[in-house]
Amino acid sequence: MTPFNHPDQFDVTVIGGGHAGCEAALAAARLGVKTLLLTQDLDTIAAMSCNPSIGGVGKGQLVREIDALGGEMGKITDFSMLSCHMLNTSKGAAVRSPRAQCDKRMYQAAMKTALERQPNLRLVQDEAAAILTRAGRACGVATARGTRYASRTVVLTAGTFLRGLIHIGLDTFPGGRYNHPPSSLLSKSLTELGFKLGRLKTGTPMRLHARGIDFSKCDRQEPDAPPAPFSHFTAKITNPQLPCWITRTNAATAAAIRAGLHLSPLYSGKINSTGPRYCPSIEDKVVKFPHHGAHHLFLEPEGFGTEEYYVNGLSTSLPEGTQAEIVRSVPGLEKAEIMRAGYAIEYDFSDPSQLDYTLETRPLPGLFMAGQVNGTTGYEEAAGQGLVAGINAALSVLGREPLVLRRDEAYLGVMIDDLVSKGIDEPYRIFTSRAEYRLMLRTDNADLRLSGRGLELGLLDPALKKSFGAYQAAVADLLAGRKPKALPRGPWKAAKARATAAIEKTYALYIERNRKEAEKMKKFEHLRIPADFDYPAIKALPNEARHKLEKNKPLTLAQAGRIPGVTPADIQLLWVLLEKRRGGLK
Amino acid sequence: MKLPETSDTIVAQATPPGAGALAVIRLSGPQAFGAAASFLSPVPAEPVHRAARMLAVKDGARLVDRAVAVFYRGPASYTGQDTVEISCHGSPYIIRTIMNLALRAGARPAGPGEFTLRAFLNGKLDLVQAEAVGELIAAGSAEAHRAAITQVEGGVSERVRGIKTALVSLLAELEARLDDSYEEIPALKTRDFARRAAAARASTLELAKGFEAGRGIKEGLKVVITGAPNSGKSSLLNALLGYDRAMVSRQAGTTRDTLEAELELHGFTVIFTDTAGLNARAASRLEREGMSRAAKAIARADAVILVSDASIKETASDRRSEKEAARLPAGARLIRVLNKADLPLKRSRRGSLKISARTGAGLPALRTLLVAGQKKVFRDGAQAVVTSARHFAALSAAAGELGALRALLERKEPPAELAAERLRAALSELSSILGETTPEEVLADIFRHFCVGK
Repeated sequence: MTPFNHPDQFDVTVIGGGHAGCEAALAAARLGVKTLLLTQDLDTIAAMSCNPSIGGVGKGQLVREIDALGGEMGKITDFSMLSCHMLNTSKGAAVRSPRAQCDKRMYQAAMKTALERQPNLRLVQDEAAAILTRAGRACGVATARGTRYASRTVVLTAGTFLRGLIHIGLDTFPGGRYNHPPSSLLSKSLTELGFKLGRLKTGTPMRLHARGIDFSKCDRQEPDAPPAPFSHFTAKITNPQLPCWITRTNAATAAAIRAGLHLSPLYSGKINSTGPRYCPSIEDKVVKFPHHGAHHLFLEPEGFGTEEYYVNGLSTSLPEGTQAEIVRSVPGLEKAEIMRAGYAIEYDFSDPSQLDYTLETRPLPGLFMAGQVNGTTGYEEAAGQGLVAGINAALSVLGREPLVLRRDEAYLGVMIDDLVSKGIDEPYRIFTSRAEYRLMLRTDNADLRLSGRGLELGLLDPALKKSFGAYQAAVADLLAGRKPKALPRGPWKAAKARATAAIEKTYALYIERNRKEAEKMKKFEHLRIPADFDYPAIKALPNEARHKLEKNKPLTLAQAGRIPGVTPADIQLLWVLLEKRRGGLK
Repeated sequence: MKLPETSDTIVAQATPPGAGALAVIRLSGPQAFGAAASFLSPVPAEPVHRAARMLAVKDGARLVDRAVAVFYRGPASYTGQDTVEISCHGSPYIIRTIMNLALRAGARPAGPGEFTLRAFLNGKLDLVQAEAVGELIAAGSAEAHRAAITQVEGGVSERVRGIKTALVSLLAELEARLDDSYEEIPALKTRDFARRAAAARASTLELAKGFEAGRGIKEGLKVVITGAPNSGKSSLLNALLGYDRAMVSRQAGTTRDTLEAELELHGFTVIFTDTAGLNARAASRLEREGMSRAAKAIARADAVILVSDASIKETASDRRSEKEAARLPAGARLIRVLNKADLPLKRSRRGSLKISARTGAGLPALRTLLVAGQKKVFRDGAQAVVTSARHFAALSAAAGELGALRALLERKEPPAELAAERLRAALSELSSILGETTPEEVLADIFRHFCVGK
């Protein structure tokens, strides 16, 4: 290893080329700062390590928000989509979300191209080994090859790679994804920098070859026709659409699983870390819901030019022999060939309560974190954080106001506030039930909520301003009962304005209540609590509240109010002390 | 989430509770003048700033008191907002009535230190004085905390928690389906759901009714009447109250439950609890249950009246009662009463008060003895109104949301996301009693009951 100081000074260095890293790097570069993306392997840019699917309830809203702000995920999804479903069509507009299967290689290739064509962005294949610091700030990255990159800010998007450990049955081996080495050096670097790390677990099912699947025994799930684009800027989906297939487990499956449980790393006590409750392994489902005779399985193509199928619902870390028996027990899969075995992975995450709303870390200014390293799960959650972290890293270099989205503005705001305020005890997934202003945060109005910000920031093409402005005016006109003016050429169409206005009208009563509540909250969102606020000194606070505040170190008075166990009386007291301090500093 | 609100109208007693013959009740906020005008007469349309006026306090047509009111126009007031200060007579009854009239006129009971907080935020106090605000809030919180503990014992929060659990589980049913990306969960059974929602609403309304007009929280001197079966506990209670609150019969063991009744004695609020007789040999399950409730009531009493029948010799049940009554908390008083003193005496005991519930003999002495040296009741009177007014407001609002939920469920295709809004709002109303319901609690319920996700 020959140490080498790279001669360039970067503004933003992104570590990791996953869904978070890609959005972070693109956003920073688009804001005009000199950006570097470091990845172990340029051929795994935007890899869909688990299900090649984007969207779902809550997640679909995130993708629309990313897109409205000028992110990439929606466009790439539209480009690579092979089967699309609008979910919850029988329910209200607030919970309607798209979900799409993608061709996973097309997705990766398209994202890699987007990165390569992005001015201000340099891509380098090397493993980050340590965060460099100077005077208590991040100032660059040292790589495993010994190169040192100077950078004003660093965005860490390490995914599941920090001390990643893969489990199949009782066998374990290091890996950040199957067949890819983990990064253990970075974990050490973070610990040395004083970060609190924890351990989480997630898993993935086996992949099957199509020729062994008897589709006549499965139910056919037709894709939507015509498929609806995720992105505001995609006129039409041109890919052909493929069906997915549904089959189900049975008593024989449950029996095979029970017979193999003693070899399960989850049930033998080998894995102690927590997995996401929403993505349970099949062994978890069978153990926790023994009275459910059958669990649905979705067979989803992994691409156009491949015979590989993803078995959605069979996530498992049981040994390979048991996996084979499980598959054999399922109608339609009796003769299926397993191409890749399912596995579980344990990895380090950094406690997200160490983050600020900008996703800059509090222990080390200049270092931002996004994605699974913050304890979340899902490509959409990762991409959303990556976008916000990349934007804020660039804005801080430019000396501009940071982008902080409130809970009433975006699911991005809900997610980040949840992470920052409460920390996590299982991998965090977005749900619409987490949003108290759910009726305001819809896929149809993501643009109205956020595209103004995207234009202001400079992430959206300024040429879109006219079309968007006219669209905003048209929706306002329709809501006021006026006849809207004709819309100019551009992505925003009159039919969409009418649909959104109609939704707003049905929800008007409820949205009005939500708005009032949010308005009240805003005042408290803006009351920042200084980092050195001395809670133990406030003897007037009840013990429980004092401990919780000391532990959570809320950033704002509103956030303090969201901590369970902190009462309005406590908030009042804090408010007085904050005002006093503010007055005292004048 | 409930955060401090500074733009509504609040009311509270401004003088220290129990301070003396006069009390000051303060109203502050944009509706202060209007609220005061609804029960003070005659109030001119444009009251003169800072002029004191003698006015009648009226509850409808009934004259409650004659009081002096001063109207301050904001910002030239203590809080910086429109403010009315009413000096009335210091009886807990009058204070409570005026508070209730203000609440009925749309004011909200002020939290601890809230007037001072407004004064501070409106620039009426300097930094040094602000220190005092903190102390005031802290002291008030301690008081509120104490009140909360009393309610926990009183079972209020247990009942509210029961309602909350029901609402969380209803909400989870909806949220699980709204967040179901694979549309796997079977459709909601609307009729069953509506039935459960209606039951939750009924309990909420019932509980709210108990808090109406500031009577819900049984704050005051807690006196438990206990003794062997048929010693005349219920007759004594009735004699004290002057009407038949407890069912009295000559058959021993009539009172299997505890009965509560409230009485103003010499200006103090006294809450009597009549317990089941403490039988030496508890027979039925029902009887045992009644007796365990009696034991619980004794454990939180301020005074215990141990009643024995003077017309018979001491029994095993008497000895058992004596033992139970001795378990009263530290600082509480034990008052021994020999009842049926109008009959030939079969026993006597030094320090016992001889009475007859039947003839009324000895009752005036007992009344005086009960409130002698009691400061506690006075202190708690106003606090009780405030706390219970808050509970009433919270529970009624929650019931209102559940009423709107019922209307939604009657639609042909009930909109689940709107039904969820109503349940969320109902839970948010209850948060002032029990604290926040976090989305994590709802998610936990979902994952406990539904096998969701892939």
